[in-house]
Amino acid sequence: MTRTLSRMVLVAGLAMAGGGAVLADAPPMMMPPYILRPEPPAGDRLKAGGDGKVLFEVHCGYCHLVGGMGTNLLTKQRMMMGETPDKGLLANRTDLTADYVKSVVRMGKGAMPAQTKVDVTEAELEAVSKYLGKAG
Amino acid sequence: MKLHLPPRVSPKTFDAMLAASAKVVGKDWVMASDADRDAYSDVYAPGSSEEWPAGAAIAPASVEEVCAIVRLANEHKTPLWPVARGKNLGYGTAAPRMAGSIVLDLGRMNRILELDSKLSYCVVEPGVGFFDLYEAIQRAKAPLWLSVPGNAWGSVLGNALDHGIGYTSYGLHARNLCGIEAVLPDGDLVRTGMGAMEGNPAWHLFPFSYGPTFDLAFTQSNLGVVTKAGVWLQPAPETSLEIVWDIPNEEDIAWVIDTIAPLKISGLIDQNVFVPSWLGKMVLKGQRKDFWDKPGAIPEWRVQELLKQYKLGYWQVALRLYGEEPVVKARAEVVKAAMKRHLDAAPAEHWWRTGDPIGQYETTMGVPSAVPLQMSDWIGGRGAHMGFSPVVPATGTHVMDQLKRSRKIIADHDVDFYASFTIGGRFANNINMLMYDRDQPEMVANMRRLFDALISETAKAGYAEYRTHLGWMDPVADTFGFNNQALRRMTEKVKNALDPNGIVAPGKQGIWPAAYAAQRAGNVGGKA
Repeated sequence: MTRTLSRMVLVAGLAMAGGGAVLADAPPMMMPPYILRPEPPAGDRLKAGGDGKVLFEVHCGYCHLVGGMGTNLLTKQRMMMGETPDKGLLANRTDLTADYVKSVVRMGKGAMPAQTKVDVTEAELEAVSKYLGKAG
Repeated sequence: MKLHLPPRVSPKTFDAMLAASAKVVGKDWVMASDADRDAYSDVYAPGSSEEWPAGAAIAPASVEEVCAIVRLANEHKTPLWPVARGKNLGYGTAAPRMAGSIVLDLGRMNRILELDSKLSYCVVEPGVGFFDLYEAIQRAKAPLWLSVPGNAWGSVLGNALDHGIGYTSYGLHARNLCGIEAVLPDGDLVRTGMGAMEGNPAWHLFPFSYGPTFDLAFTQSNLGVVTKAGVWLQPAPETSLEIVWDIPNEEDIAWVIDTIAPLKISGLIDQNVFVPSWLGKMVLKGQRKDFWDKPGAIPEWRVQELLKQYKLGYWQVALRLYGEEPVVKARAEVVKAAMKRHLDAAPAEHWWRTGDPIGQYETTMGVPSAVPLQMSDWIGGRGAHMGFSPVVPATGTHVMDQLKRSRKIIADHDVDFYASFTIGGRFANNINMLMYDRDQPEMVANMRRLFDALISETAKAGYAEYRTHLGWMDPVADTFGFNNQALRRMTEKVKNALDPNGIVAPGKQGIWPAAYAAQRAGNVGGKA
């Protein structure tokens, strides 16, 4: 991807995109740096009780950290619903329930493919859904 | 998704295979619920994902477990469909070619076995993703760069084994493979190249075997299950310079190719140069309906308006040079002078020097990102894409010939034209991105007809695809007709000798074992 293209990607995620509004180009310094995910926890992935935040960043961080594909698309969607751009990050949402998180992870939603149990095990999903499911 | 059994396999035998496999990998790593089958389906399927349904999935954690599962599959006559991480989006995701095949998900085999900065290579298992390897390199502060594909969510080995391409000097990913370990279809284990000698330290350094060299025979292949391989990496350069030209007109692609390809062939440019058309930029600016809200292709007058409005060229060349600063400067002067003979406008230039931060979307600097998949949002709904990907000689004449033909066929089907050419040296990969909403049946049906037409008309002109979706593996294989399909006949002889039960990936790239020869014409092309 080119730098110009990259800038557009970023802007598509972070700038205003309300009904039919068209996005402008942005200065190059806006491109965020790569965000290193935490190292995956050692040990049995099938064991319950993992750290939901760490597991979320490891297994969902490809798309759901700052500047990721999921974050960019969700930022646009949340802003069109009148929310602030920070709500594009799943970690900042307060309206998600654990069951909803589990359902989206396993069934997929929009541009997000369903995740297999190798992508995220049931035990890991339990921890991730507790972490993201701030609404219960 | 309901259970589809492989041909001639009873429910009892299928269950016995799963039960026996659970004893090898553990019951949690045998996945056979309806939801599991959905998770291993083609998320971008042009039509129902039940056309290419997995029967179940099994996830081994070691080469020993792979050997054991392959032996069990022979015993029960249950075919396997190996995937590295199963993220082959646009080409079938993790789904198998033949209904009921058991996906052999190698995602748990995700160890980085070696990372060598001195000789610039690594040895990895199939479950290692581009993100994983990139982060291991960062943590080790190793002076190494990756070459990543547009969608880097997937596996380093999986992408190379499927002939994926990237946009750095190491962009021809299958060429970076050196020294492969593979489980053969009978459960035997083989190592290619110098690895055929126990403990040989040159296994992942010298690219040939003593005798025939089989490394590439395991790519786009069903001759074995690759369980580890060496991958050559780019030494981190001291500096890098990106030079960006907006190319105004569609027909300019001819001189662009004739200018850049000779410099690539001579070695002055070492990058795989990616030249996308304007729509590649627009898909990330919003949704299609923001720019054109009617069905059918965006008309040419509106295209011209959009180019003007957004100050876009029809094409963009963002060429990157790597190396010591004086060398990069000298090379840049040669490239700029060559381009200036056709285009007066000065290019934009972006220098990077060791120690400077690298942005998250710098694909040409080997940073992995899944962000290009945002293009699925362009159409809206359950957006998806397939790539029609012929290879052409890297000359203006060939490229224009291909461009005009595919442009007309795509226009005749009333679909937006989104092409790119990646100049890999003496050839260019022409990728035509076809985007659709999976929930609009007529749009999907039109895409399938279009795909059929593109393959057959392109083959008549003498060009072929380098890679394709599951549903077109046979039609594309049919286009390689020299001497009554001699290459396919030879490969199938080898396949039958190595895999008498046809256990490993039947139908992959149109290679069918005798055991499943009757399946050859099933679920193919626009008619499926």
